[in-house]
Amino acid sequence: MPRSEMVMGDGRSQSFAARLKSDWHIGDRSRLAQLLILVLIVVAAAMFAASIMTGAADASLSNVLRWLLGMEGAEQALSVRDRIIILDIRLPRAVLGLMVGASLAVSGAVMQGLFRNPLADPGLVGVSSGASLGAVLLIVLGSSFFGPLFAIFGFYALPVAAFVGGLITTLLLYKIATRSGQTSVATMLLAGIALGALAGAVTGVLIFMADDKQLRDLTFWGLGSLAGANWMKILSAGPIILVSLAVVPFLARGLNALTLGEAAAFHMGIPVQRLKNIAIVSVAASTGASVAVSGGIGFVGIVVPHVLRMVIGPDHRYLLPASALLGGTLLIFADMIARTIVPPAELPIGIITAFAGAPFFLWILLRGRSHMGL
Amino acid sequence: MIKASNLSVRLSGTQVLHGVNIEAAAGQLTAIVGPNGSGKTTSLKAIAGEVPYDGTVSINGHNIKMLKPWELALKRAVLPQSTVISFPFTVREIVRMGLSVGAKADAADTDRIARDALEAVDLSGFAGRFYQELSGGEQQRVQLARALCQIWEPVQHDEPAFLLLDEPVSSLDIRHQLTIMRLAKDFCERGGGVIAIMHDLNLTAMFADRMIMMKAGRVHATGHPNEVMTDAVMEAVFGCTMRVNVTPAGNVPFVLPHTAA
Repeated sequence: MPRSEMVMGDGRSQSFAARLKSDWHIGDRSRLAQLLILVLIVVAAAMFAASIMTGAADASLSNVLRWLLGMEGAEQALSVRDRIIILDIRLPRAVLGLMVGASLAVSGAVMQGLFRNPLADPGLVGVSSGASLGAVLLIVLGSSFFGPLFAIFGFYALPVAAFVGGLITTLLLYKIATRSGQTSVATMLLAGIALGALAGAVTGVLIFMADDKQLRDLTFWGLGSLAGANWMKILSAGPIILVSLAVVPFLARGLNALTLGEAAAFHMGIPVQRLKNIAIVSVAASTGASVAVSGGIGFVGIVVPHVLRMVIGPDHRYLLPASALLGGTLLIFADMIARTIVPPAELPIGIITAFAGAPFFLWILLRGRSHMGL
Repeated sequence: MIKASNLSVRLSGTQVLHGVNIEAAAGQLTAIVGPNGSGKTTSLKAIAGEVPYDGTVSINGHNIKMLKPWELALKRAVLPQSTVISFPFTVREIVRMGLSVGAKADAADTDRIARDALEAVDLSGFAGRFYQELSGGEQQRVQLARALCQIWEPVQHDEPAFLLLDEPVSSLDIRHQLTIMRLAKDFCERGGGVIAIMHDLNLTAMFADRMIMMKAGRVHATGHPNEVMTDAVMEAVFGCTMRVNVTPAGNVPFVLPHTAA
C-alpha cells in the first residue's frame, strides 16, 4: 500500500492520474532558471563583443574575431593602431568589467543569503568603505609602514589590503548584527552606516595626510571607473576574484538552508559555522579585489540579485550563476554608456550605476514595505 | 533510541535545565509536557545538538557530538516552533530542501517523496503558493513536510530515525491537529521514533506512548499517560486543582479546564 494512503486520516486516496493533474509542477522554477542562465550566457557574450567594437576606432566583429583567432588575412584588415586599441585598451576593459560586475553581483547575493535579508549589500553596509580604507591605508602609509607587504605580495598588495579592510568590516558587522543566529535588519543597516562612516572618516584623515603624489594616486584610483583597465590590473585582481567566485557554487545548498535560520540549516545537515566563514571570506575577497581595481561601484550587488529573484526565485543554485552573468553584462553595458555618452570625455561608471541603481533601490523599499516587515 | 543523560543547560547566565534524563524509544511517541518555561524547548534543542549542554545525548548509541551535521541529519529531523523566511520561496521549493540531505534516489523519486510529504500534511495543491502568503498553521505544516522529507524512511540501514517536533499542533485547527498526530503515530508504527513537545494534555493522552512531565528545568514524572496524568501531578506541576477523568471506552485520561478550582 502506498504510504500516502496510510497517512491520510480520512481515508481519501488519489489515483495517480488525479495526482498528475494536481498543480505540483507549479512552483517549480528550476527549468525557467536553467533557460534564463543559457540566455544570459548568450547576452553576456554579445555584450562583450559589442563592448570591444564600440568606441572611436572602428572595428568590425568578424575582423576582430578572425584576428584574435589568428586567422589568415585578418592582419591586414585592421590597422596597427586599431589592434593596439583593441588588445591593450578595450579587451582588458571588457574583461575587467565582466569580472568586477560578476564579483559585485555575486558578493551581493552571497551576503544577502548570509544575512538572510534582501537588503544586505557590500556597498550599502560599509564593506566597500572598509575595503577602500584598506587600499587608501596602503597607498598613503605604504612606503613607511607596509614596505614588507609590498615585498611579499608585489602587485597583489593593493587587492590584499582592500580584502583585509573588507574582511574586518564584514566580521564586525556580523558580530554586531547577529545574535544567537538571528540577524536584525535594522541593526545591520545602522551598524553598516556607522562602520562605513567610521571607515570614511579614517580615509579622510589619511587623504588629509597624503602628499601630492599620493593624492594623485588616490584620486586616480578612487574615481570608481574601469578607465584604468590594463592587463596588470586583471592579473592582480583576477586570481582573487576567480577563486572567490569558484567557491561560491559550493555554498548554494547551504545558503538555501540558511534562509530557514541557522538552527534549521544545522538540523538539515549543513556545517553552519564553516559555511558562514567561507561566505564571509569570499564576500570580503571579491569586494576587496573589485574595490582595489575599480574603486567604489555601487548598487550592482543589490539590484542584480533582486531582479533575478523576482524572475527565477531565490534558489541559490541558480541565483548565484545568474547573478554573475547579469552583473558582468550590466557593468560592461554601463561602461559602454560611461565612455560614449559625453565624448571625448568619460563619466565615472559609479555615477551611471548610482543613477540607475538608487531609484531602483528606493522602489524595492517601497514595494517591500507592505510585506517584508522592514 | 535517543538517550539524553544528565542534561544541564545554562542560557545567558541562568541555569535552565538541571540534570534532565530523557529516553525515547523507536516505535514510540514520546511527549514532553509541562508549564511555560519548564525547559521543554531547551531539552529538545539540546537533543537536536543546537545548544551547548553538559551531559550526554546519543542517538542509536552514537554520541551526537561525535557525528557530523550531515550524519546527524540522516538520523533525526527537527520541526521548530515557527520559521520566518525573508525570501520568496514557494512551498514546493521549501519542501524539496528537506531532500537535499544524504544519498537520495533519482529525481523522479524525490519528486514523488516531496509530493507525498505535502499530501501527508494535507497541503496538496499548495506547491506553487508562496510560503510568506500562508497562515501560521499552514507554514508549520509546510515545515513538517520538509522535515518528513529529510527522514522519509522511518528505518534506514536497520536504524530508526527520529522526528523532533516542537509544538507541532499548537497553531493548528482541530482537524489538522488530528491529521498531524496520526501522521506522527504512523511514523512510529513504521519503526521510527517521535519526540513531541505538547501543550494539549488530551491529545497527548490520546496519542502518546510515553509522557515526560517537566517542571522548573527538571523531569517531574515519566510514564504512560495513564500513570502521569493524575490529579496529584496536575496540582504539583501546573499549580491548579483539576479532576482527571477517563473516557468510558478505552480508558484514556482527559482533563477539562472547567474542573479547575
